Amino acid sequence: MRHRFDFDTFREIGDSLFRNRRRTILTGFGIFWGLFMLLFLVGGGAGLKKLLGATSEGFASNTMVLISSNTSKPYKGMKEGRYWQLNRKDVERLKLLVPELDIVAPLMNRWGQKAYYKGNSTSLSIKGISGNYDKIEAPLMKYGRFISDADVEQNRKVCVVGKRVYNDLFPQGGDPCGEFIQVGSVFLQVIGVDFSSGNISISGNASEALLVPFSVAAQLYHRGDKVDLICMTGKPGVRMSSLEPRVRSIMAREHMFDPTDDQALMVLNTEQIFQIIDNLFRGVNFLIWLVGIGTLLAGAVGVSNIMMVTVRERTVEIGIRRAIGAVPRDILSQIISESVVLTLAAGSAGIVFSVLLLNVFEKIVNALAKEAEMVSEHIPFQISFWTAILAALLLGVLGVLAGLAPALRAMRVKPVDAMRDE
Amino acid sequence: MLIDLKGVHKTYDNGQPLHVLKGIELQIEKGEFVSIMGASGSGKSTLLNILGILDNYDEGEYYLAGKLIKDLSERVSATYRNQMIGFVFQSFNLIGFKTAVENVELPLFYQGVNRHRRHKVAMEYLEKMGLTGWASHYPNEMSGGQKQRVAIARALITHPEIILADEPTGALDSKTSVEVMELLTRLNREDGVTIIVVTHESGVANCADKIVHIKDGLIEKVEDNRMHHASQFGTDTVMK
Repeated sequence: MRHRFDFDTFREIGDSLFRNRRRTILTGFGIFWGLFMLLFLVGGGAGLKKLLGATSEGFASNTMVLISSNTSKPYKGMKEGRYWQLNRKDVERLKLLVPELDIVAPLMNRWGQKAYYKGNSTSLSIKGISGNYDKIEAPLMKYGRFISDADVEQNRKVCVVGKRVYNDLFPQGGDPCGEFIQVGSVFLQVIGVDFSSGNISISGNASEALLVPFSVAAQLYHRGDKVDLICMTGKPGVRMSSLEPRVRSIMAREHMFDPTDDQALMVLNTEQIFQIIDNLFRGVNFLIWLVGIGTLLAGAVGVSNIMMVTVRERTVEIGIRRAIGAVPRDILSQIISESVVLTLAAGSAGIVFSVLLLNVFEKIVNALAKEAEMVSEHIPFQISFWTAILAALLLGVLGVLAGLAPALRAMRVKPVDAMRDE
Repeated sequence: MLIDLKGVHKTYDNGQPLHVLKGIELQIEKGEFVSIMGASGSGKSTLLNILGILDNYDEGEYYLAGKLIKDLSERVSATYRNQMIGFVFQSFNLIGFKTAVENVELPLFYQGVNRHRRHKVAMEYLEKMGLTGWASHYPNEMSGGQKQRVAIARALITHPEIILADEPTGALDSKTSVEVMELLTRLNREDGVTIIVVTHESGVANCADKIVHIKDGLIEKVEDNRMHHASQFGTDTVMK
């Protein structure tokens, strides 16, 4: 058995590829660009998805929010357009009647309030919450503690400030716990600072909010036991959308509106929102792969095409090789090796370039996101090691396929062709 | 008997059949220096292709060194060519992007000889051709005579049974032609290499010991030319 896999095999390949350097580079560029596009888009797409995920961090993804609204259908002698409101009894009622619910939290909010502290002032929105609200929107406590059930029960005049509120009122920094800030006519003692930055939130950005015990907010604004929103999460494994009809019928019976009146009770289901985002990214991913693979295939076809031309040009050379003893398999393996080496070299350059660019992209995006206080963690954009390996394998296969047609043509070259004059 | 052709027929079928070889009978012994002469269209190139296992024939038998050469697979015929035949072409047919020594090495590359040994042997043959100083030059840096000597070195490197030369002087001037023919003669005399030269130049043919005249696909006559005065141009070995 003749062994041929030595240094010269590579020299043969290198020689023929370097003979027409510009053409080789231009041909390789198709592969380079295809792979670069594919990997850059895959990495970028995954990064963007994570970025979006990070902006909604801390927000329970199986949350359902109830909002009361005017009725749109007449019911039991009452006209349409009647206004009704959720109240604190509904909270207990839902807990009791729908055991699949995990957390049921009332929420009351007031927009455009002003707070003062030692000559500093800021505008904010007041959120009256219960002690279990942290299960709906997870806080990121920088100082102190969150609102507790005891705060609510005992009407303690305390508050947790959001990040921007904290920065405005306490520009000198430091732990503000124990200080009193003035809101309207009352003074509230700061017990904690919430630095959470999730951009999905209920009634206003967390950083601009002042969280107070629900009972205090109700007193402050004379709301009695009226509730603006009811936030609920399901127990693990419960699909919130499946609970919606029951919640709707309970509320309809209690507040005397038509159970089929969808407008009277607005139900926001985050599960659906996350579903939409998920589907969106599935679509984006599909497009990425379609475009990337398409570009890559176009590159491979280009390689195949150029190799075809090269083989025709090299008819005499191949003929000489055949005349002096190259068996058809030698020619076949030479052409395919050339194709594989070309695609692998160009593709590796594409992998390296996309990794470098993703690295730069990752740094820029993270710097911007940090500055805009959108995220608190580092968002990776880089493709994984195994994606790169997979891409390299794919390239090898593409190289073989691209070389196949030209190699078969080269194999058909008869040694007699060498005798013909150049 | 090194070469034994028995009633070889060859018909090309491009549109209408063309009967090129009509029963060639030819015997060549080891160590002979034979030239095949004929006008263009006489079938001498076809005969050369068959002798060189580059082409098949339709009828008859061709024995090369005792082996029947007929309907071989591409793979086997390539191996036989590599081991038994050295080609010298009119247009040299060196590979342009390889240096002289790399060109000479190539047949050994296809035999799987390792790199160092290959290089050493190739350098020996280049030295024999007086081209040691040109080993790392590319073909386009060499004269026609030098290129043909590189090609001869390449043909010799596998110790083939026969050297087949197809118009070896066709692209050379008269002085170089004489040098190349003297080289071939010397190889035949000193090393006992069997040489078959296909030509239509009587001066070239006159270098050989035996001249095979081919006409219309048949061997017209085989001339004993050991005295080297075959034709009117033969005595003074004037070429061109």
